[in-house]
Amino acid sequence: MNIPVQTDSFFERFFRQNFFYFDRYPLVIKIAVLLTLIAVITILVAYSSILLRRFAAYLREKRLHAIHPHIDELLTEYVLLNEDAMMQVPVEEVRLQTEVFLSRQFRKRWQKQALIDRMIHFKKNVTGDISMLLTRVYVETGLDKFSMSKLKKMGWSSKVIGIVELTSMDMTIADVTILPLTNSRNRTLRAEARNAYIKLSKNDPFKFFDVTMEPLLMWNQLELFRTITTTEGLSIPNFARWISYSTNKSIVAFCLKLALHYNQREAIPSIIHLLNTRDHYLRADTINCLGKFMAEDAEEKLVHMYFNQPVNCQIEILKALGRIATGNHLDFLKNEFLRSTDFELRKNAAKSIIRHQALATQMIQELLSNATTENALILKHCMNPLIKY
Amino acid sequence: MTVNILIADDDEVMLQIIRSVLSRGKGFQLFIARNGKEAIQIKEKNKIDLVITDLLMPYANGFEVISAFRRDPETAGVPVVIVSSIGNEEAVIEGFKLGADDFIQKPIQVGEFMSRINRLLAKSSTNLP
Repeated sequence: MNIPVQTDSFFERFFRQNFFYFDRYPLVIKIAVLLTLIAVITILVAYSSILLRRFAAYLREKRLHAIHPHIDELLTEYVLLNEDAMMQVPVEEVRLQTEVFLSRQFRKRWQKQALIDRMIHFKKNVTGDISMLLTRVYVETGLDKFSMSKLKKMGWSSKVIGIVELTSMDMTIADVTILPLTNSRNRTLRAEARNAYIKLSKNDPFKFFDVTMEPLLMWNQLELFRTITTTEGLSIPNFARWISYSTNKSIVAFCLKLALHYNQREAIPSIIHLLNTRDHYLRADTINCLGKFMAEDAEEKLVHMYFNQPVNCQIEILKALGRIATGNHLDFLKNEFLRSTDFELRKNAAKSIIRHQALATQMIQELLSNATTENALILKHCMNPLIKY
Repeated sequence: MTVNILIADDDEVMLQIIRSVLSRGKGFQLFIARNGKEAIQIKEKNKIDLVITDLLMPYANGFEVISAFRRDPETAGVPVVIVSSIGNEEAVIEGFKLGADDFIQKPIQVGEFMSRINRLLAKSSTNLP
């Protein structure tokens, strides 16, 4: 007669051996025991993964620590101390022994990456012929293709690394490759691609302004501004083009700043036209820009629209009138200073009156003699040249 | 006659570049400091003829290195060159106020760098009694 053999699972055996009465525990205790077990296992997995990662990072550091001095030595010997370069031979004709960078030591991906990183580091510290020689080594050893291959990868971080490498080594990237990336959904990739496009595009470095749909964040604007103002030989277009026609508000706001930086006074009519925009943040930027341009043509319109504006635009209008300072609207400023209920408006009106200097001397004396304690305090605050804000 | 040059920079690559550029010239003995404090210590123990210093360094910055050289009557006349990526007006003015003799902004142009160093060395050797 066959007696059925009862087979227990591992967990049943484990619980029976360790928790003899487990089956008889109340449900709450059973759940607590299970949760404790899950928590212990999770912690063990988490700690082992942290340890493994740290160990991998340690090994990577160790390998790099060993290879960096060797790379430095090669770059020093064959590039920095290149005899032809020292003899002022033109960069294209300098004899380079690129085979040393193609040796077995630089076949693996991490070795190539270490070489590229070190070359970029060198390139950041030198300019002129040596910098151009480094680019030649980069191209002649095929490392440009290695960087370019990163642009074709799926992950955005690889693409960003590829772009940074190519930009740092002054390589050109085809518009068809880089332009779609300027509109990527990934913020970091988008920003890097835009920077690279301005730096590397030979035809129309600002073309992406036409196609970009995503907003330019403030930090990206700063980065782009730095790239635009520091890239040599960049042909600066008339930014009125985007101020008038772009549907991307952040591009328009950025172009206002650029037009101002490059003192493109021919853009003033487009900027005045932009005062009709429905977005009051953009309108405030526009008024600010007109004030900094000291656009006298805009003064009448600014005063005319003042009372229909939200406070941020009203503040910008008062500031702009102080910057333009023709003296035509001193009475308007005085009225705002005396009658406004908003403290910021009163402060900015006072500041703008004082900015008129000689034109407003008599008015300032008059205001000071008749002012309430608070108004006198505001005026004195604004008259102090050491207080800027 | 050897010329003792102190190079203070916390960037290993920059040190390597300056070292190799100066190795083109003959008769230079180089002292390397990886931070401002090390630079000041080297100054105490050795006779230095020229200082090349970065501005941003750990422990003591380039300004402190220049001040240390200028405060000591023995090293007050040693030419000091700032090599830094900080190119703003305030930093340059502060450097010159403290007594720096030249300011070279990174990235450096090797030929220009070498001629500036040679010019300073020639100038300081003619000033020697």
